[in-house]
Order: sequence, then structure tokens, then C-alpha cells
Amino acid sequence: MSSEITELRHDAFVYGSQDEYVAKAVAFLREGLRRGEGAVVANTRPGLAVVREELGPDADAVTFVDVGSAYTRPARTLAAYHAVYAAQLQRTPSLRAVADVQFGPEPSEWDLWTSYEAVFTESFAHLPAWVLCSYDGNGLPDRILDSVWWTHSSVLAHDEWNASDRYRDPGPLLRQIAARPAPLLGARSIGFGRDVEEFRERLAAELVSAGVAEDRALDMLLAAGEIADNALRHGGGVRAVRVGRVSGRFACEIVDAGRGFDDPAAGYRAPRAGSGSGLWIARRLTWQVDFLRCPDGFAARIVL
Amino acid sequence: MTGAARLTTDQERELVVATEAGDLDACHRLVEAFLPAIAGLARRFPRSLGVHRQELLQEGVAGLLFATRRYDPALGTPFWAYASYWVRKAMQDLVAELTMPVALSDRAVRGLAAVRAARNEHLRRYGTEPTAQQLAEATGLGRSQVERLQTAARVPRSFEEPTGDDRDGAVADQVRDGPAEEAFEQVLDAIEVREIRALTDGLAERERAVIRAHYGLGAPAQTLKQIGESLGLTAERARQIESGALGKLREALARPAPVRRSLDSRT
Repeated sequence: MSSEITELRHDAFVYGSQDEYVAKAVAFLREGLRRGEGAVVANTRPGLAVVREELGPDADAVTFVDVGSAYTRPARTLAAYHAVYAAQLQRTPSLRAVADVQFGPEPSEWDLWTSYEAVFTESFAHLPAWVLCSYDGNGLPDRILDSVWWTHSSVLAHDEWNASDRYRDPGPLLRQIAARPAPLLGARSIGFGRDVEEFRERLAAELVSAGVAEDRALDMLLAAGEIADNALRHGGGVRAVRVGRVSGRFACEIVDAGRGFDDPAAGYRAPRAGSGSGLWIARRLTWQVDFLRCPDGFAARIVL
Repeated sequence: MTGAARLTTDQERELVVATEAGDLDACHRLVEAFLPAIAGLARRFPRSLGVHRQELLQEGVAGLLFATRRYDPALGTPFWAYASYWVRKAMQDLVAELTMPVALSDRAVRGLAAVRAARNEHLRRYGTEPTAQQLAEATGLGRSQVERLQTAARVPRSFEEPTGDDRDGAVADQVRDGPAEEAFEQVLDAIEVREIRALTDGLAERERAVIRAHYGLGAPAQTLKQIGESLGLTAERARQIESGALGKLREALARPAPVRRSLDSRT
């Protein structure tokens, strides 16, 4: 019996009890192990402990990921999973994963994590992986449980696989639930300079002046350097650079002369052969990257 | 004033944002402001559970700091209303882990928790698996201790195995049973350990020095000519070193997952 996983399969599993979660997750992972696939289980520490115990000696072959602090921002979470999957795919040709998504208590941020689920399909489309996202059918609010059927084309619930008739294409769904960018307060032009190096020098002076910690300043310099490179290569050059604050965070806006693009998954696709990774880097290092049209061009706004 | 920390809404937001941005001083002030509220939640857990209050406080602070990394002030929810869920959850997870019949000794689980926190932070920062040495540096544990803990986590032990043998003794030494008033300082120490990390850790010392000097990170900014002179190099060589270092960082941040060629051709 060999693996049949050749591309991403991103499904959901709605469980009614912890016993059901453990039994089905372990059966799913063991089936993969029998086929020579890698196995990953991502949950909080108590969730990992019960799966590990049920796996017994098979646990040796499973990668356990503590997600207690992983779900902070979608791009960072994707990057963390990507690292785990990449490490696993060094060892096996394909993998299975059971991942417990941490929506959190705040209804106003549930759309953000629904976006994460939607974009996950795009992000890892090229990977030979079967990812089963687990949801507590008795503990989670109906709104979250409804969204499971929008973001997974197939859902394991009530002991059977169900094709979702409410599944939505990621692009339109992402556009529908995207939050409008908050205003850039105290915006001030700093100019671009001769080249990316001078731009980084100018931006660094602003970051230091704003008291941004060294490590985070470097995050912003790297992210902004990637965006500036893109503006020079694909956007017809940089027209303006502004810095300011968005909801209290340091922000930098780079305006290019191009027509721009309308791709809500831009920067969320994991690195792969034949496609650029600049926006992926920018997103994973910062709080948020927004793209917007403004009077002087097409702007990428990086919020640290 | 916000009820939990007696801060104005603006002060609270500034502290939260600054903490998330890596400002250690803000981090200390935030923890100090919310520690009474965290302690209040910790007191709700019965002592009969056998979990030390100090450990609950540490988990609570970890929950608070996690909340700063996820909290969006633009959504309009007061910070403590948001963070208290994560503080309580962190404590509940610790209690569940220490009281459930798992195969590891509770002292090993505590050491493992520190290793896991360091690993998660490394993954968040760099997107790569940390080495045992990096985990050792981040947690203050010995490298061999880290390796033993990682091995133990993958190989469950039976209930009958002794839990107080020498293998775990060194780890247990890392967890002190101090009185509650010591908890605060230890919590802050833990914060220091978790925050002292940098994207540039994977670079050579000279590469780090060039980047920091050029962009004024931790020292006044210098031109590449000045940096080159201080290192006995030409400006062009200093530029090459910086370019190479930035390239390394980029490569580390955007390394593709290995995909078999037959699959790769379809993407």
C-alpha cells in the first residue's frame, strides 16, 4: 500500500467528543503511516497528550506541534505550518496532518481565521499533503461551525464524509470578509532615494526615531525591501513612500506607478518553484500588509 | 481607566502594541500592570490540583503575552476582556497537562513546556525548526537536557516507570518552588529569555555587525565606507557582506518545501 497523496487535500473534521477526536485522528494518521506517509498532529498540549497516549509506540513516527502560541496572525501561522510540513517532507514523500484551528473567543476576529482557512487551500496547494482541520462540534459557536463548510470542500462529520454544498472559492470569500484598511495616521513622506539601499537607510532612521526595537526594525526593513523590489520590477517604479501609524503600530506605505493587482491571496502562497516570495516574506514578518489604490498610485501598506 | 490594570485605554493600547513590537520595557510594565488580574485568575484554581501558584502565574503571563501578539486594538475590544481568555486557557492547559494521566513525569513536562515555548517562538520568528543548541540557549537548559526532553516527548513512558530518577533531576532543578512573591521576578526573567532572539542569529558575527551598523540598530548609523574602515575593508566589500547577509535571511524566510519532481512539474 503506497501513498496516493499527490497534491493538497484540505478537509475538516467536526467531532462530538474528545474520544471521537482521538479515535478518528489516530485512525487517520495510522492509515497514513501504513502507506509510508508522514504524520503531523497539531493541537494544544493537552490535546497532543491524549493523541500521543492513544498512538502508543506509533507516536515515535509522528510529529507533534504545540499550537498554543501559533495562531497569532494568519501569515505567521501559515509560515509556522509550512516549516513543519517542509521538515516532514524532507523525510517522507507526502504527509497527513490533523490540525486544531484556534479561532479564539472574540467574534470580531473570527472572520480573520475563516480567511486563514480559505487561504490555506491556496497557500499549500502544491504540497502532497492531506490536512484535516479539527473542530469541536459541541464547544464552538455555530458561526464558526458554519464557516467550516465554506472553507473545506469535504467535511467528516457524524461518522461520514460529506461533500460541502456550501464551499466557496477562496478568492471571492476572502474579498467578502476582508476588513477595510484602517487609516494611516500622521502620514509623512520620506521619499525613496536613489535605490533600495538608500530607501532602507531612510526607513531605518524613521524606525530608530520611533523607538522600534532592533529586531522588529530589521523585520520591517526586510519586508519593505521586498515590497520596494517588487515596485521597481513590476510596478513601474516607486512614486512615494510614507510612514505613519495604523492603530498605534508603525506603518510604511510604498506607492508604485503600476496598475496594481487584485489578488486577495497575494503573499499567502507558500514559496514554490517558479513564483516570487517577496510578499510571503513581507507578510510573515509583519502584522499586516494591505494593498490599496490611492490618488498617487497603487500602494502597499506594511503595518509592523 | 481599564478595570484590570488601572490604565487609560490609550496607555493600555500603547503598552500592548509596544510589547508586541519587542519593547522589553513596555513588556515589563504591561505584565506588572496585569499581574494582579492574572493572580486573581490563578487563585480560582484549587490548590488541591497540585499545581504551584508560581507555575500558574508563569503560564498566565505567557497567555497574556500571547494575547498581545494576536490582539487587534482596531476591533475595539478592551485588552483584558480579550486577554483574560488566553490567560485562563494557558492556565487550564497547564493544569490539564499536569493532572492528566500522561506518561511523562510532571517535572519533565514542565521542562518540556519551556522547550516547546522556545520552539514555537523560533518557528514564529524564523519559520524553521530550531536546533537543540538554539533551544538550550533559549531556555537556559543544557543541550543534553533538551535532547532528553525531546526524546521523552516522542516516547511515552508507562505509569510504572519511576518519575524521580536522575534523568529528570536536572530539569527539576530549573523549576524552583519559591514563595509567591518571588514569582513576579521569575516571570520577568522568563520574559527576558523568550524575547532575546533575533532574525540575525543565523548570520556570522561580521554580517550582523555590518547590518546593525549600517541601519543604526543599537548604535549610530554609519555609511558603508565608515563600516568598511572600522573592519579594515573597502566600502564595496562591506556592501557585499551586507548583500550576502540579506540574501541569507531572505533564503531562510522563503525556503520552499521539498516536493518530488513529478509533483513539482504540475504546480
